[in-house]
Amino acid sequence: MANRTAQRPNGQTQGKICQFKLVLLGESAVGKSSLVLRFVKGQFHEYQESTIGAAFLTQTICLDDTTVKFEIWDTAGQERYHSLAPMYYRGAQAAIVVYDITNQDTFGRAKTWVKELQRQASPNIVIALAGNKQDLANKRVVEYEEAQSYADENGLLFMETSAKTAMNVNDIFLAIAKKLPKNEQNTGQAGNAQGRRLTEGDTGPKATGNCCK
Amino acid sequence: MTVGMTVDLLRNSQLKFGAITFFAKQHKGDTCGSNGLPLTPNSIIIIGRAQFLKTINSPFLCEFLDVIRGKHERTIVVSQYCGTPLANLVEKHTFSHLQIKKIAYQILQGLSLLHSLKIVHRCLSNENILLQDNDNIKLFNYGLYYMTDNGALVPFPVLDVLYTAPEVYLNGPNSCYPDPKVDIWSSGICLAELALNKSLWSSLNLGQRIRKILSLLQVNSSIFEKIAREHNCYETYLNLPQDLKEIIELCLNIYPSKRPTCNELLSNSYFNDFKLENDERDRKPWRSFDIFTIKELYHWWQLTGGDVYQELKKQGLIRSSPPILSLPSLVLIEGSLLGQERNPATLYDPRIVQMPLDMLYQRFAHISLPAFYPLIHCKSEIISNADPPPYDATGLPLVIKEKDPEYQFHRIILFRRLLHGYPFTKDLIIEEAQKDIPPLLRGEIWAALLNVNSLYKMDYLRLDKYSHTTTDRQIEVDIPRCHQYNELLSSTEGHKKLKRILKAWVYKNAQYVYWQGLDSLTAPFLYLNFNDEAKAFACLSNFVPKFLHKFFLKDNAVIIEEYLWKFSQLIAFHDPELANHLHEINFYPQLFAIPWFLTLFSHVFPLYKILHLWDKLLLCDSSFPLHIGLSILTQLRDKLLTSGFNECILLFSDLPEVDIEKCVLSSMQTYTSTPKSITNREYENELFHQKNELDITGVKIEDLKKELCPRISPNDVIDFVRHRPEKALFIDIRNPTLFLRCSLKDSINIPFSSVSFSEKLLGNLGPHCNLVKSKGDKVVVVIGNSDTDLERFPKFLLQCNVSRVCVLHGGFNVLIPVTPTVLQSGMPT
Repeated sequence: MANRTAQRPNGQTQGKICQFKLVLLGESAVGKSSLVLRFVKGQFHEYQESTIGAAFLTQTICLDDTTVKFEIWDTAGQERYHSLAPMYYRGAQAAIVVYDITNQDTFGRAKTWVKELQRQASPNIVIALAGNKQDLANKRVVEYEEAQSYADENGLLFMETSAKTAMNVNDIFLAIAKKLPKNEQNTGQAGNAQGRRLTEGDTGPKATGNCCK
Repeated sequence: MTVGMTVDLLRNSQLKFGAITFFAKQHKGDTCGSNGLPLTPNSIIIIGRAQFLKTINSPFLCEFLDVIRGKHERTIVVSQYCGTPLANLVEKHTFSHLQIKKIAYQILQGLSLLHSLKIVHRCLSNENILLQDNDNIKLFNYGLYYMTDNGALVPFPVLDVLYTAPEVYLNGPNSCYPDPKVDIWSSGICLAELALNKSLWSSLNLGQRIRKILSLLQVNSSIFEKIAREHNCYETYLNLPQDLKEIIELCLNIYPSKRPTCNELLSNSYFNDFKLENDERDRKPWRSFDIFTIKELYHWWQLTGGDVYQELKKQGLIRSSPPILSLPSLVLIEGSLLGQERNPATLYDPRIVQMPLDMLYQRFAHISLPAFYPLIHCKSEIISNADPPPYDATGLPLVIKEKDPEYQFHRIILFRRLLHGYPFTKDLIIEEAQKDIPPLLRGEIWAALLNVNSLYKMDYLRLDKYSHTTTDRQIEVDIPRCHQYNELLSSTEGHKKLKRILKAWVYKNAQYVYWQGLDSLTAPFLYLNFNDEAKAFACLSNFVPKFLHKFFLKDNAVIIEEYLWKFSQLIAFHDPELANHLHEINFYPQLFAIPWFLTLFSHVFPLYKILHLWDKLLLCDSSFPLHIGLSILTQLRDKLLTSGFNECILLFSDLPEVDIEKCVLSSMQTYTSTPKSITNREYENELFHQKNELDITGVKIEDLKKELCPRISPNDVIDFVRHRPEKALFIDIRNPTLFLRCSLKDSINIPFSSVSFSEKLLGNLGPHCNLVKSKGDKVVVVIGNSDTDLERFPKFLLQCNVSRVCVLHGGFNVLIPVTPTVLQSGMPT
């Protein structure tokens, strides 16, 4: 993996660097790992293996003059691993709760996660709801409007995404980045925050594009 | 013992095999199943279904050996192929009536077995009835219809026009109902050809042949007679014995419902002569032992460079055409292709290619006859000296050994015998497995190592694998992502089997629940025992209590916590520098090692690596996975030491290439060099770890988690004192008065109170610091009592990068009652 210091391509001096911890939650097989893989590496695996415990990845995006680095904790979906979840969402500034638009139960489970986060996670956590597998829209059972109004009621960001076609994947992370407070508190937090770029620029095309606007 | 005899054993006229090839139907465009996953390619479904055929064993059937997948849905079927097709003999050879009777009987015997297994041959013809040297016959290619899901998975009809029953044409050749009665008709035609000694309708083209067969539907009298008349064989027909005519007539009944079954025909008095012979065979209490079978021969042939694909290519059965020729004229936006010419290769090509065995014969020519009969138990030196010297492969890397045909020959011959004697040969199996495990027999050897007993099939049969449970959804979403790069595990059959095994396991182990990861854990067993689901289940059932005792409890937090803590301690024990670094950057095993230990690496590594890892694991105890974990860290050590938290965790979220042989060697090395009690756990299975008062028991998790260095049991300390004092350094940290009164033999005294822990300097230890500095790989046992702080001192040593530090469990006083004593009093001389 490329491991370079985050310098703007044009050599311009670095603006603010913010580091955020983001956790993905949701029923198993809704596509949490696939969303992360798409966002971080621009890849998609049809047979993405199940996640046991949790997996950790990072990705950096540029937002105006700020470099936002996400530390992403991708958790196991199975209910049993629930007891581990607090370990991962503790201290997280952002969460993406994922469901599968072709499966009603996963939407129910997403709501439970939202409730738990609202109760237990840090009060200022930014929560996004992702209705994944949009590419299977012809098999949809969770209506867009239903999810949108639920998100509105609960003050969540909401997008339907597809890790397979990459639809809205970068966008949802970007929307989160925009919503996160970028005050001094978050800069240089947690370990070594000399803002590293972990992937080649072309793997997150949209994010990179935005940064240069 | 002549060389010739050896080759004769191999050069048996029936130990020959050949291959056919065809294309499976291609899925159109980019289609997904209802779960959003791509459809399983038909060739993979075929591979999954075909595995069952490998289990069929009958003297009247060619043994099924292998199915191989090529590009673009190409499928190759390898099977025993020996003797002469009857079709080559018709009109050239006169068959006596007795001979025809025998052939009829053997065809029906073969079919009867197939039908009892719900397999319909469907393309039985005189082309694939093979006459052997001994005048018996073998049916060939009987599995095609079955493996292609009754023809549904291939783009061509599975039948042989001339021999196909009329109802098949009436239903349309693509109808997928497997009716065994069609085989009876085909047998009738085959026998008619033999009886009349005439190839039927040989001058007609395809369409005319079908019309001929359909015209038989109009016949009101005897069909056999009609056929005879049409071929100017009425004379011959009249001269046939009445009972033969009758049998053929029965087979050629146009009504499938009135056509007799195999067993009805076999019970016909016509076959009475053979029944006695058959009974004789059935009366043997056990099946005879073969030194080796055609399956092994095929395996060795492959190792000597035999390549079915290349042979087919050489013979022109596989031809590649330039890709530009397969471009479609039109591609619709949703992905369907139009205007592609049908590749004639997608039709069925009935040619069979015999595989040349000369390479194998040459390669094995020098092997002496006694090598086929290895001595297992031998008390006489003279006899054992007569045994040929063992083939020396020691020192060769495992992957080379596994590909060395001669070495595998010796290993397989030996292991087959040992497995035949199981369970009485268990000790020998373990002993040999320690060297290495031949891949061909791995499934059976693992089952033996896991003590699978002979009742396993009954046990599995009794379990409910079908009732709906709340776990089903989880199992269903996990299976299609479990080792799907593997053909067997990604096949439809593989999915069904894995689901049944998991459901049976959950049903049987009510105290446990299904945790994600159990699927990966089951995968190697299923892969190795694909045709014996019950055995795969039995292996899993015996594996879990031995290596993952209580890991699948609904609340397994404390078990996993303890295991991970022991892992941290083991790192500290062997590699304090790394342990200190990881500690400093807060990189805890909780963050990366849960999938390692919960699935014993089956979720982390690809199958071929898991197999080698578990080959050794099965010979060790439940602490071995900790050593594997350690050896993985050791392989990545340099990277870890120079990395911060993020780099480290990223390293593990995408585990880099781990050299598995190196990993196995180094885990074996630490496993054997670490005193057993270092990895002692409170939650290990007592059945496998019996303990007495001088072992470690009763350590609470809260206490454990205060200890950075592991405990060592009094038993292990006593063992050091008595047998290997040079391997240990005993540091007594009690005050000098107590030490002078009574101390462990050879121990040194560094009173706890005399050491300043403020700086991490070994010099603070005082006059003995050089002993510690130059201790080499000695185990450092810290001995104290209830008055001494047993956390700070070892922690101090650890922080000074002293390796192999451990603390005597129970303190000094537990050593007092030990007899004969390991203690001394006064100053050591």
